[in-house]
Amino acid sequence: MELPREEDIIKLAESSVNSALKKGADEAEVFIYHGVARTVAIERGQIEKVSRLIDLGVGIRAVVNKSLGFAYTNLLGDESSVENAISKAVKSAKASKPDPEWPGFPTRRPLSSVEGIFDKDILNIYAEDLVKMASAMLEGAEEVDKRVFPVEGGVGASYICRAVANSYGVSAFDYGTVMECSLAAIARENDNVTPICFEFDMDRSCKVDPESIGKAAARIAVLSLKAKRVETKQMKVILAHFALQQLLSYTLLNAIKADNVHRNQSALQGKIGEKIASEIVTAYDDGLLRGGLHTWRFDGEGVPQQKTPIIERGILRGFIYDNYTAKKENKESTGNATRSGYMSTPNIEPTNFHIMPGKSSPEELIGRIDEGILVHSVQGAHSSNPTSGEFSVVATPAFIIKNGKIAYAARGTMLAGNIFDLIKNISSVADNEKKVGSIVAPWVLVENIKVVGR
Amino acid sequence: MRDLLTRIVNLAKEKFDAEYAEARAQKLFKTMLTIKEEKVEAAREGVETGVAIRVLVDGAWGFASVGATKTELLFDSLSDACKMAKAASLKLKHPIKLVEYKSFEDKVKVKPRKNPTQFLIEDKITTTSTIAKTVLGFDRRIKSCTIDYLDIFGTNYFVNSEGTCIEQDKLYVWSRITAAAREADVLTFSREEVGLTAGYEIFDVETPEILGERVAKRAVEQLRAKLPKGGRFEAVLGPNVVGVFVHEAFGHLAEADLTLSGSVLIDKLGKRIASEVVEIYDDGTIDGAFGSFKYDDEGVPAQRTLLVKGGVVVGLMHNRETASKFNVEPTGNARAEDFRVEPIIRMRNTFMAPQDYTFEELIEDIKFGYYFKSFRGGQANLDGTFQVGIQEAYEIVKGEIADPVRNASISGNTLETLHKVDAVGRDFELWPGRCGKGQTAFICDGGPHIRVKEVLVGGIA
Repeated sequence: MELPREEDIIKLAESSVNSALKKGADEAEVFIYHGVARTVAIERGQIEKVSRLIDLGVGIRAVVNKSLGFAYTNLLGDESSVENAISKAVKSAKASKPDPEWPGFPTRRPLSSVEGIFDKDILNIYAEDLVKMASAMLEGAEEVDKRVFPVEGGVGASYICRAVANSYGVSAFDYGTVMECSLAAIARENDNVTPICFEFDMDRSCKVDPESIGKAAARIAVLSLKAKRVETKQMKVILAHFALQQLLSYTLLNAIKADNVHRNQSALQGKIGEKIASEIVTAYDDGLLRGGLHTWRFDGEGVPQQKTPIIERGILRGFIYDNYTAKKENKESTGNATRSGYMSTPNIEPTNFHIMPGKSSPEELIGRIDEGILVHSVQGAHSSNPTSGEFSVVATPAFIIKNGKIAYAARGTMLAGNIFDLIKNISSVADNEKKVGSIVAPWVLVENIKVVGR
Repeated sequence: MRDLLTRIVNLAKEKFDAEYAEARAQKLFKTMLTIKEEKVEAAREGVETGVAIRVLVDGAWGFASVGATKTELLFDSLSDACKMAKAASLKLKHPIKLVEYKSFEDKVKVKPRKNPTQFLIEDKITTTSTIAKTVLGFDRRIKSCTIDYLDIFGTNYFVNSEGTCIEQDKLYVWSRITAAAREADVLTFSREEVGLTAGYEIFDVETPEILGERVAKRAVEQLRAKLPKGGRFEAVLGPNVVGVFVHEAFGHLAEADLTLSGSVLIDKLGKRIASEVVEIYDDGTIDGAFGSFKYDDEGVPAQRTLLVKGGVVVGLMHNRETASKFNVEPTGNARAEDFRVEPIIRMRNTFMAPQDYTFEELIEDIKFGYYFKSFRGGQANLDGTFQVGIQEAYEIVKGEIADPVRNASISGNTLETLHKVDAVGRDFELWPGRCGKGQTAFICDGGPHIRVKEVLVGGIA
């Protein structure tokens, strides 16, 4: 794989900043993103295709009289496209409305050092290697049980490089790798079809184990056969990795974003220093977590990423900021201005929202429950009320626990409640943390959630 | 562009022994705005140019996407795609076949009454700011308002190794308005989307004032709303909720790739899966609708596809690969979000057909139930479990609409629920939306008001 050279990317970023200033911008910022990804896809029980994506582009923010314009283009085409985009950014800024509170782009600060985000072995993974890994995953799943059918999945290897430069002297370059494998499987027996059972692993190094992922997805599918309806009542609930990530992403993680706090859209507004969660809950937004999926030296504005305390022993300690919201409170940005590529302006997002693990094994958590439910995944979390934290979701796949053991799969079961009550009722955290999206967390045991069944 | 793409697909056959090859190029211009309260966050403009090459070699797919139109990069991508297909074919059990289909040569031009590219960004700021002003001015309890605006204009080129060669203009105008209200400890949230493949005239009918008021009013009304009871209840679903139900709960199961993946419809073709008043279409030909287009991204013309008639499944949505497996004609449902991804089976405008009940007739016999008017989000699983979050609902008490209800959600098994539809209204609405299936597609869904004998309501009261 041929990699872009740091000098070339930095030079392009810096010269584009200068060009924007020459074209009439008071301030300018340039973000460059280059991604190369190879993926092998599994569809309906077999490996069907291999894909390659090369995406290289530049996004320019220009400010004229405190009003902000943005333009982007992909780069591999002709060189004039960058100059055109710069002109458009300046033109958009002139057309837009001034923001009297615009604080300017961030100034240069020393970058953080990070570990475990680049693995050179990933660069030498080719189509044939990916096909081998995917077939190990498929075979792993099929070995578990004949009734298992792998619906879709894949194995992917990618390289990402990013750079930011601005007219206040920020000039930063970083690169990393990501390896992922995933499998969604169902199990079928006569007329009985299980819901989709999904397992995946994602890492910055090539240490993912496709075979064990295949087996794990298959085991959940088999366990989901012969599901029964459950009674409507308050129960103890174990939220496994995906379920927790889904429920938090649309609620709590919105409430800790400074822009939502400033705009009265956070239920946590004004609650710094107050107890908002059970005292066994401690969580950091850790942009420097070793090998974290969102670990980088700097964020989408070139601000160093950091480890920010959010909840310590149940007490709310802080929010996450970009430069704009931080300056509004005379603070420094927490390095949470996130870019989803070159095509968008930065948004405040968590990096690695790390809920600290406990000492119990997942089996011990299950063993402590006389009657309850283990929820592997939920459906419909995106329809939660993002401001109030109220949710009402389908728990699937989910398993009824009786006398400390998994008894049977639950069918047509909903969970309803409010996330801010839920985090107060967490009574135990397991020791099995996993990286899922922007969350790194173990299983958690929650007392008293309304389970709506029959 | 057409010549270059033709050279690529010819070379695929001649030099790399591809059974089939296609090259898809796009040049799109986008304008985006985000308004928060009355502040313009950033006026954004973008250009996206790129080519996607897809080849079938030894029965497996190779796909390469590159953000460029330079000849040497495209030849390199082609060679890589063919090598990748060969690698993928190593473990293949069932080689992929495409159904035979006519080839087309066509140029599709859009002629909007109001082309968004001819409006200044200042005009677009004025329109969206007016919506924001209306929302914020509606009631002092409205605390925030976010407006997103997007227009896309450009051209897609599609050439395949069977002689199809299509140049097709693309035009989309879309906006999403959200508002949050607060009173004491109650926080409420309201959302609305508009979207057309026509032009900027969208704001002539749905004026900024009408849109703003609708979103604001809902957020404020919910402040005094009750929480729903949990359990099974009789319900009337509004067109907006019927749309998301038909799309999420049924539509995805009828996408032939998901049907083959084991959706509950796999052995239901030709069988009764719904009460006989249920008739469902997926239609790519509705003029100006957000999910309409002339040709799909495999060069197949869009059509009006009947999925359910008299409660019986009569069709599925296909691309050329699944059409070959079912031995039917493709339906024009293969869509790719952009040059970065390959076409997959997606819905277009999906709806339930109206019948003869008035709204009053639907609710008059309900002693206690719910009227679910507008949804917040929906999701379904292959086993037919669906969930739809509701942003606007009311109690129905003794045949009349009563108190508003907030944060309800409904769920159940799709087929069981379709069997419980016992009356279908005479009205009809189509709502624009964006559907995620790894890629985003612009779609519409809708229908009339319908009555369902029983649905599971997830409530905390």
